[in-house]
Amino acid sequence: MEYIAPRTLDEAYRALEADEARCLAGGQSLVAMMNLGLVAPSRLVSLRRIDALRGIAVQPDGGVRIGAMTTHAEIASLASSAAGPALLAKAARVVAYPAVRAWGTIGGSVAHADPSADYPVALVAADAMIEIGSTSGTRLVAAQDFFRGFFETALARAEIVTAVHVPAGPEGAGAAYAKLSLVVGDFAIVSVAAIASGKAQLAVGGYGPKPIRLTGVDVADSALLAAGQALAAATDPPGDHRASAAYRRRVVPELIRRAARAASTGPPA
Amino acid sequence: MIEANVHSVMTVNGEARDVLAPATATLLDVLRDSLCLTGTKRGCNHGVCGACTVLLDGRTARSCLTLAADVGERPVTTIEGIAGDADFSPIQRTLIATGAIQCGFCTPGFVMALTDLFARDPHPDRAAIRMALSGNLCRCSGYVKIVEAAERLAGAVDD
Repeated sequence: MEYIAPRTLDEAYRALEADEARCLAGGQSLVAMMNLGLVAPSRLVSLRRIDALRGIAVQPDGGVRIGAMTTHAEIASLASSAAGPALLAKAARVVAYPAVRAWGTIGGSVAHADPSADYPVALVAADAMIEIGSTSGTRLVAAQDFFRGFFETALARAEIVTAVHVPAGPEGAGAAYAKLSLVVGDFAIVSVAAIASGKAQLAVGGYGPKPIRLTGVDVADSALLAAGQALAAATDPPGDHRASAAYRRRVVPELIRRAARAASTGPPA
Repeated sequence: MIEANVHSVMTVNGEARDVLAPATATLLDVLRDSLCLTGTKRGCNHGVCGACTVLLDGRTARSCLTLAADVGERPVTTIEGIAGDADFSPIQRTLIATGAIQCGFCTPGFVMALTDLFARDPHPDRAAIRMALSGNLCRCSGYVKIVEAAERLAGAVDD
């Protein structure tokens, strides 16, 4: 395997044209998969030295552009009263453990697209856009379309996730992230990201190959539980070592209720 | 396939060390197998157990999830370097005094996690301590004593 650490995006795009070349961001998933023998890249293109991929830019309307190499710890410390960025910060606070949050990046997590990870569900709920760069320029893809399936995304060969754009969200709305896991720091059995004022926009993670989006749900307990029960009846969630499909169906209505109710109490004072 | 070795220079415990290792080698591989710093333990080797925790640029990092080639200019501190010229750091002494060590395999990782915590917050409360230790597993299940040791050091519990 060859290791390259370019300083510019253009160099990185060109380096990624080789067969079996992969980006190395924080390494918190990729190196684990290499150690387990699940992937064996021919070339790793480290994004660590590319300054253009770092930093959080707050937009005038309260939305944020988060560079791909921004760590979970940096996003966790984001203080925003806007619902979208606040939702991302809440999700970042429960990604794995401090050592992983110190080095893992949002771009790496997004490109990896683990359906039980915390960012994909939060990004879909927040109507975020994924910024993708290549030698042909930059394109924006809605998070809902970016995540295509089990570890599958809209990324093409030699493209890099360069940033995520998170809109502010409805004025006066709050955000909440409800995550059910076996132990603190594990991936979710099921998680629900919610933005709500009068109505809730939600996404459900850990419940299928990609986040499931629900919009325009009334925030009354009965309506939220009914939406969750309708989802459970209409879907075929996975059963795995964390929980059975039946268990996921059983817990999803209550997680939807908790996330949306918590979000509907409004932004932090 | 035999991987070719790549040369790099890494700052470990304040010393510049020459490293020859394949590009696929992790920091954990290099610490243990090339530099003979075997205080850092290999547990799960995929980021779950915390036994391989070191400080990278002053922050806790899983050395098994850090590629050696990607370390670059960032300084690495291992359990061997944690006390400087002293025998033990205050954190190590408190763990010993509190009986917070059983088989000892997880201890270096816990010491590194606590070192990062106390460098940032000299008086953490129990919630902050538990959060800081949430990525470290102790198969002897000695968590109560480890948290007690950290609380003693934080001044949260009188001797």
